[in-house]
Amino acid sequence: MRQLSIAALAILFAQSAVAQTYQGKELVKATLLADTSAIVPGKSFSVGLLLRMAPGWHTYWKFSGDAGLPTEIKWKLPPGWKVGEIQWPIPLKTNDPGDIQTYGYQDEILLLQEITPPAKIDISPVKLSAEANWLVCEKICIPGGANLELELPTSTTAEPKNTDLFARYRRLLPQKFPGTNSATANWSRNGNDLHLKVTSDQIANYQNLDFFPVPQGNTVAGHPNVELRKGSEVTFRIPIESPDKNLSAMPGLVVFSKFPNSSDRSAWEIGAPQISTVAKITQPSRGIITFLFFGFIGGFILNLMPCVLPVISLKIFGFIQQAGQSRQRIFRTGLAFTAGIFAWFITLALVLIALKAAGRDATWGGFQFTNAYFVLGLSVIVLVFALNLFGVFEISLPQSLTRGLLASAERKDNLGSFFQGVFATVLATPCTAPFLGSALGFAFTQSAPVILSIFVAIAAGMSAPYFLLSAQPAWMRFLPQPGPWMLHVKQFMGFLLLATLLFLLYVLGAQRGLDGAIWASCFLLIVAIACWMKGAFIVPTASAPKRSFVLLLMLLLLLGSGIYFIADKFQSAKIDTAQANLPGDWQPFTPERLQAERDRGHAVFVDFTAAWCLTCKFNEKSVLESAAVRQAFQRHGVVKLKADWTNGDPAITKLLQQFGRPGVPLYVLYPGKSGEPIVFPELLTKNIVLEKLETIAVASR
Amino acid sequence: MKTKLILTAITTLAAGALYAADVPPVGSAAPDFSAPDANGKTQSLSQYKGKYVVLEWFNPECPFVKKHYGGDNMQKLQAEYTGKGVVWLTIDSNAPGTEGNITPEQAQKIMAQWKTKQTALLLDPESKVAKLYGAKNTPNMVIINPEGKIVYEGAIDSKASPNPADIPSSTNYVKAALDESLAGKPVSNAQTKPYGCSVKYKSS
Repeated sequence: MRQLSIAALAILFAQSAVAQTYQGKELVKATLLADTSAIVPGKSFSVGLLLRMAPGWHTYWKFSGDAGLPTEIKWKLPPGWKVGEIQWPIPLKTNDPGDIQTYGYQDEILLLQEITPPAKIDISPVKLSAEANWLVCEKICIPGGANLELELPTSTTAEPKNTDLFARYRRLLPQKFPGTNSATANWSRNGNDLHLKVTSDQIANYQNLDFFPVPQGNTVAGHPNVELRKGSEVTFRIPIESPDKNLSAMPGLVVFSKFPNSSDRSAWEIGAPQISTVAKITQPSRGIITFLFFGFIGGFILNLMPCVLPVISLKIFGFIQQAGQSRQRIFRTGLAFTAGIFAWFITLALVLIALKAAGRDATWGGFQFTNAYFVLGLSVIVLVFALNLFGVFEISLPQSLTRGLLASAERKDNLGSFFQGVFATVLATPCTAPFLGSALGFAFTQSAPVILSIFVAIAAGMSAPYFLLSAQPAWMRFLPQPGPWMLHVKQFMGFLLLATLLFLLYVLGAQRGLDGAIWASCFLLIVAIACWMKGAFIVPTASAPKRSFVLLLMLLLLLGSGIYFIADKFQSAKIDTAQANLPGDWQPFTPERLQAERDRGHAVFVDFTAAWCLTCKFNEKSVLESAAVRQAFQRHGVVKLKADWTNGDPAITKLLQQFGRPGVPLYVLYPGKSGEPIVFPELLTKNIVLEKLETIAVASR
Repeated sequence: MKTKLILTAITTLAAGALYAADVPPVGSAAPDFSAPDANGKTQSLSQYKGKYVVLEWFNPECPFVKKHYGGDNMQKLQAEYTGKGVVWLTIDSNAPGTEGNITPEQAQKIMAQWKTKQTALLLDPESKVAKLYGAKNTPNMVIINPEGKIVYEGAIDSKASPNPADIPSSTNYVKAALDESLAGKPVSNAQTKPYGCSVKYKSS
């Protein structure tokens, strides 16, 4: 009996409505409703704020127009509960005297939101409360508000409730913009006007077409109008009255109906925030000088990256060796090394310019580290260099070539230094150091001469220390004297290179699976044997036919193993679906998944990463997977998506480019459906992440 | 180079023409007007040439206007800047028969009761001044510099709500723009989206 009365009370409570009265007249009646009879743990359901307005009075849409104020709902949910953004049914457009246009609702409206309860709920019934605030206007405007509550039992099963009401307003929700097959939307900017051209067969079926804008921030938009309409094409003109020179698009609704404001109206949502944000990011506010400076600093920092360090040690070792030599000679070697660095970056810039001209997806590493064959090639080079350091063989150019090209041993030295410079920079590419990232991001949106000058700046930064050391050999006095220890250091450097090789094999493993990595290792073994043959048998003391025979054998071995291990086995190695075993609560990223989560109003964090990206790994270990950050993500109900770019997924490449980034890492927090994405710096700290999470929590409250 | 100049000139002109029909843009010359104040004295913009002038659209019934007068926020601003030589013209542009339309007597009464501190409260029942400036909201704020150019237009502050409790945590755009202008600096936030009730124009 007692239980029954509590249940009855709960029902009463759930239905409780709050009325706003003004001078004895009821203006608005507000009720909180759910589309379910009970809460099933972990299962999302919809809630709706039902506002019933007195005849002639109206409340407002998320963009209220020239006057008015959008309705606000602030939820007070228990910890672990998530609430999506308000889903606003397509509003009515009202024109008042004085060219005042507003967007709102008359008579009745249901503002929907999705609530996701945690997987475990200990209490029943659960009381969900929200504070709603609105402005209701007829000729005059009266602010209204109510503290509303909704009480629902917890259960393992639930029946749909309020189905008609929810169905009625779900039909009035705007739809996502259809795929590019059935419709296209193009933005252009002409002076102070934005133009939106929509092409679709659907357009011919409707008499009435309109664009309802949702200006962001302090942007002031004039009244959109249909500028041109013919057949399946319509162009809207949206005057921009505020001085947002860079604004290139604006979110909003393309509204179709038989008559203005008819109840059969439907709409497509134009999700312009991405476009406009991108326009802002790629529009450099800093000048070219700043970026050249960043390029220089970034190039310098590249020297400290773990992927370059072994080579750098090599070079320093080289300097030590030269310490006793003539100053002029040291300077020349230094210049050669510098030239090697420049040559690589300039080549890279030229390749990039060519690719850009050809319209390919040119991104940093996009044509490098996402390509398994590039990584394999690099592995071979690293191994050969390591064996060389161990003394397995000596690198010597063919006699004829040496004679022809190099008049003196000195020049041979210079050539060696040149290639060492090239090699150091090849190894540097996976380390998109923080400054370098922004300089490169800028470079990719620029014209050919600018790309070239930025790459030259990076080269200058990277080579500066060697150039200085060789120009001022006096500073080399501080380096130790040469001696037998140099051989040991040299061999030790070989092990550092082997460590680099391990990393490269790890990347290959992520790209081609364990099988792929093993087949690649088999090939590497043959390469090592070939190197040993070279060192052991192709020596000046051996007879010419014997040398030729060994050389032939070497080439046959390399060719044979290349065909067998690489062209056959490695080529067909299954690409490992790294996404199957994502750690913790990370979910694999797809553009559709991102859109779906945002449509539900969830905040989404996307980690753009790759197996070969050391900065990414560092950020993940030290920040993203730290207890504090993990808990904060959980507390704020943020969906975590991992975009794995190890194999250069084109969908991810496209998104990276939208953010003006040439490669990973990239960290983006989407606050919800309409909020602008927040881009994090490439080197994360716990504080930055926690701070930004707080700001979205405040914004969505 | 020359073509570029000409092109710029043409687009600027075109932009000017476009705005003329709607809102005069920030940076353009403020259109002159004259209207009677609560005491029946005619006030015109041109008579204040050489001074900073603030235009404030007003409706004593509007909750957004009450938000700023109820807590003394607007009066304080008016007192502070008229004290610094700024001319503050409050304008009621609501048509007869609509909410917020007031007679000169009602205007005097409100000014006394609310202890307002503006230079003058103008009555514009035919909404002529509002039309010249494309004013659509109460409050809607415009700042004109001594050369007669518009240097700010838009909202009074950053929080679009009728709730006076939001005032302390809002950025007051008018105060910021006046402070910058008086210090001889360009206004950093020269245009914002005004919020509030609509100006009640006469139904045509």
